Amino acid sequence: MSEPLLEVSNLTLDYNLGNRKMRALDRISFTLDKGQVLGVAGESGCGKSTLGLAILRLLPRVAEIRRGEVLFNGANLLKLSEEQMEQEIRGQKITMIFQVPQNALNPVFKIETQMTDILRVQDKYQNPGSRKRRKDFRQQAIERLELTGIADPQARVSNYPFEFSGGMKQRVMIGMALSSGTSLLLADEATTALDVTIEAQINRLITRLAAEYGTSILYVTHNLGVLSEMADRIMIMYAGRIFEMGETQNVFGSPRHPYSAALLESLPSRQSKGKRLLSIPGFVPPLDRLPSGCSFHPRCAFAEEMCRQKVPPLTEVADGHWSACLLDQKRGRQKWQWT
Amino acid sequence: MAVDLIRIRNLKTYFFQGKGILSKLFGQGLKIVHAVDDVSLTIKKGRTFGLVGESGCGKSTLGNTIFRLVEPLEGEILFNGRDVVKMNPEELRAFRQNAQLIFQDQFGCLNPRMTVGQIIAEPLLMRQGAQARPEDIAREVAELLSSVNLDPDAAVKFPNEFSGGQARRIGVARAIALEPEFIMADEPTSGLDISTAATILNLMQDLQDKMDITYLWVSHNLNQVKYMSDDMAVMYLGKVVEMGQTKEVFEQMAHPYTKALISAVPQVDTEQQKKTIFLKGEIPSPINPPSGCYFRTRCPQAFKRCEEEEPSLLDLGGEHYCACHLLSN
Repeated sequence: MSEPLLEVSNLTLDYNLGNRKMRALDRISFTLDKGQVLGVAGESGCGKSTLGLAILRLLPRVAEIRRGEVLFNGANLLKLSEEQMEQEIRGQKITMIFQVPQNALNPVFKIETQMTDILRVQDKYQNPGSRKRRKDFRQQAIERLELTGIADPQARVSNYPFEFSGGMKQRVMIGMALSSGTSLLLADEATTALDVTIEAQINRLITRLAAEYGTSILYVTHNLGVLSEMADRIMIMYAGRIFEMGETQNVFGSPRHPYSAALLESLPSRQSKGKRLLSIPGFVPPLDRLPSGCSFHPRCAFAEEMCRQKVPPLTEVADGHWSACLLDQKRGRQKWQWT
Repeated sequence: MAVDLIRIRNLKTYFFQGKGILSKLFGQGLKIVHAVDDVSLTIKKGRTFGLVGESGCGKSTLGNTIFRLVEPLEGEILFNGRDVVKMNPEELRAFRQNAQLIFQDQFGCLNPRMTVGQIIAEPLLMRQGAQARPEDIAREVAELLSSVNLDPDAAVKFPNEFSGGQARRIGVARAIALEPEFIMADEPTSGLDISTAATILNLMQDLQDKMDITYLWVSHNLNQVKYMSDDMAVMYLGKVVEMGQTKEVFEQMAHPYTKALISAVPQVDTEQQKKTIFLKGEIPSPINPPSGCYFRTRCPQAFKRCEEEEPSLLDLGGEHYCACHLLSN
């Protein structure tokens, strides 16, 4: 029944900064099925935001894709011309919502102008020769606002972004991002800046609309709790590599990589008061000075000699559950008890 | 039984909008922002008091009022029995040595043109004045840095050379320099990665055990408040709606807002997963709060009386208080 929408294989990307070469994505391979939610988690600098930008080809000029392919509905996005990306993909079939909605909206234009701009472009490429008028686009913008639960959309559509609260701006972004033509939504820390009650509302809105339109979601966040409630599958990244990937309940219930286990153990919600939290020693290595072998070995409590020498491949350790840990692969399933 | 360190009674902090000459000329009325509205609470010595609520609920203003960074309209703030509101500048200076702040913006609170050593030495110099000997200060700075697990060499570096977690620890080192009795931590882990946040939480607990510091922990992260605090208060639109021992509040939550807030926190553990209560809309403006109970516009259980009458804090026993009409019906 599951049909792949997005297949990324061996995606490798460098940032070339002067004489420093930073490998931000290293042999990233995964698939996202139609209608599924894939959660991407990891600490800052692990490459999770770069991944979203690479799919849309919105990377800065210093970025260079070394190899790999991004198949979207069977077509390699990396091979499309810039015009095709603009006319068929960006803002059409693949859309993105960002962490800070106030930066994604232009402060000097009304919400109406910004929404109808998008609608006009979508209409131009999707129905060439369409004779829709300004009034029609305005009506469509109002409908989108209503869909995302903004009260009194008739009046609100004429407001400026500063007249909207953070949660409402994010609703506007979702309204712009989700249409009947969208099949993939990239959400980059979409609710990080919001209060928990508003966060819950927005996440429910995203899941509900995505289900309605059959849209797949790549949900990037560092909030593991949010992923646990939203995602069908989880991908844990570290220093540009995938460390673990699998069904949400498997990754969170029985992690097969010591890094995932450590992240879960450092959450205050898992500890009772007075007990010390786990804090992983050391820090995330800079991408141009990655340690040899497994890039996590200097911080890992279980590291052995072979971890220093060999880069662990991402291997299927159980049905649909992938992990990149040599120790786990050599000895089979074990419990990573840090404390 | 723990001794009370801070007792706040009927504290009100209002901000006035429209006092300027333009509003007077154009005849706009005075608007009053009820930032902190009749709050009473007690913070016990050596414990951690968690303060939670959505943005705009007045939790940071309450904290700032305790330090008199913002002047209250009325009410009293007793610190060790002495009223902070009535202190003269001399007394206020002594009080502020004994009470410190850790700010949310870890880089914004460190002067980028001063070395870390100078930043941490500043409170020490303030206290000792002209008699301070440079070598004593340098030794104290080194001790402070190592007590927050930073290398003493950090003293000669500038703030921009540090990561977010390290900058936060520099802020902690400065706050504990004068061995204060009380520290207010305003969102102390916001913007930090999971494992870095865990480091800060561990550090602050160690310092509390070692130095017997009382914390006021302002956060909207309920998981963290549950883990860190002994007592807590939930604020909504400037008012305390529920207050008690943290364990009690989480286990016996009585106010519909507390229930919604706690249910909205995403949890990793599936067995903990619960039905999220979705609140309608957003927090109303504190300029024109709703009549009666402020929460009634979003409350799933609101009824007639909530519109007419403002609920007062009811004692539920065991130092657990809640302001809701559902409890007295």
